[in-house]
Amino acid sequence: MNERATLSKDEVRSLFEAYRAADPVDQLSFRARLVEQHIGLVEFLARRFRNRGEPLEDLVQVGTIGLLKAIERFDLEREVEFSPYATPTIVGELKRHFRDKGWAVRVPRRLQELHLELTKVVGHLGQDLGRSPTVAEIAHTMNTTEETVLEGLEIAQAYNFTSLDAPIDTDEGGTTSFADQLGEDDEHLENLEYRASLAPEMAKLPERERRILYLRFFKGLTQSEIADKLEISQMHVSRLLNRTLATLRHALEEE
Amino acid sequence: MDTVSIKIPASPVYLQVVRLVAAGLATRLRFTIDEIEDLKIAVDEMSAYFTGATGREGSIDVRFTLHEGSIEIAGTGRLAPGEKLRTDLTELSRMILETVTDSASLEQTDGTPTFSLVKSKAQ
Repeated sequence: MNERATLSKDEVRSLFEAYRAADPVDQLSFRARLVEQHIGLVEFLARRFRNRGEPLEDLVQVGTIGLLKAIERFDLEREVEFSPYATPTIVGELKRHFRDKGWAVRVPRRLQELHLELTKVVGHLGQDLGRSPTVAEIAHTMNTTEETVLEGLEIAQAYNFTSLDAPIDTDEGGTTSFADQLGEDDEHLENLEYRASLAPEMAKLPERERRILYLRFFKGLTQSEIADKLEISQMHVSRLLNRTLATLRHALEEE
Repeated sequence: MDTVSIKIPASPVYLQVVRLVAAGLATRLRFTIDEIEDLKIAVDEMSAYFTGATGREGSIDVRFTLHEGSIEIAGTGRLAPGEKLRTDLTELSRMILETVTDSASLEQTDGTPTFSLVKSKAQ
C-alpha cells in the first residue's frame, strides 16, 4: 500500500479518531501520518511565500508547525473538513514567520533576489578560492557590476532587523551557560576576561549572537570562518554581528 | 594618495552612505568581502560615538585616504555646542576595533572630536 496515497475525507476523519484515541506512544505515528497526508497542502501554501528571501524548505518547515497546531486544535465534533480548517493556521504561521524574521523594511524584490544570489555566490566562491572573495570576483561570477554587489551587501543589513528586540532564546528552559556552548579549546581564563569586559549587556543576547561575537572578537575568526563553523552563510553572520553590535551600542547609550 | 571627502548630518541614518563609500573604495583596493565587512563594522563603531543612537545636532566630515593596500578613514565631528559625547573608547569598542582594523583612535582637540582608523588588506 502506498502510504502517500491521498485519503478520502472519511479516512482522514478515521485517522483523527485513531490519533485521539491512541495512547501517547502510538499517537506519534498517527500524527506523523496526518502530517504526511497534509504536507502537500503545506507545500502549496508555502510556495505562495517564496521569493520573499527565504528558501522554500524553511518555509515548509514553518508551515508544518502551523499544520501541527491545526492537528492539535481540530475539533472532530464539528462537521468541517480538516484542510480548509488548517489552511488559515498554516498561513498564519507563515505570515508570523515573516513578521518576526523577515525583511524589516520593505525591500524591493530586485534587491531581495540580489541578496539571495549574493549569499549563494559568496559561499560558493569562498569554498572554491579557499578565502573570502573580492567584490570584483563576485561581480564577475554574477555577471553584474561591482556597484550592484556593494548595494546587495549593504541591503543585507535591512534583513532580519526586527528581531533585535526579540527575547533571549531559552528554548531548553534550562540555564545553559554560555561556557557550555563553547568549544573545548576555549580556556576558562579567556571566558572570564570575556565576561568581565562585556557583562551585563552580553547576558541579554541570544546564545548564537553571543557565540558569534565571541568567535569574532575573542577568538579572532573571520566572518567566513564563523559561517563555516556554524554552517550558516557569511552574509547571515554579517547580519547577526551587525545587529548584535548595534544592540550593544544602544545599551551603552542607555547607561 | 587619493582622498575622498564627504560630509553627513550627524545621524545614524546617514552612516549607510559612509559604509557604502568605504566599501566602494575598499573594492578599488581589492579588499575581500570579509575585509570590507570589517571596515564597515569599524565605521559604524567609530561613527556611533558622534551620532549617538538617535543622532545629534551638527555634521560629520569623513575623509577617506587610499594608500597602497590600505585605507585610512578620518572623521571630524562638527557638532552643535552643548552636544556632550564620550571621548574615550569603551572596552568593547576597543576590542572590536582591534579585531577589525590595524589601528583606531578617538580623540578630542579643542572641543572637536575626531576619529581615525586604518585597515589594510591581507597580503
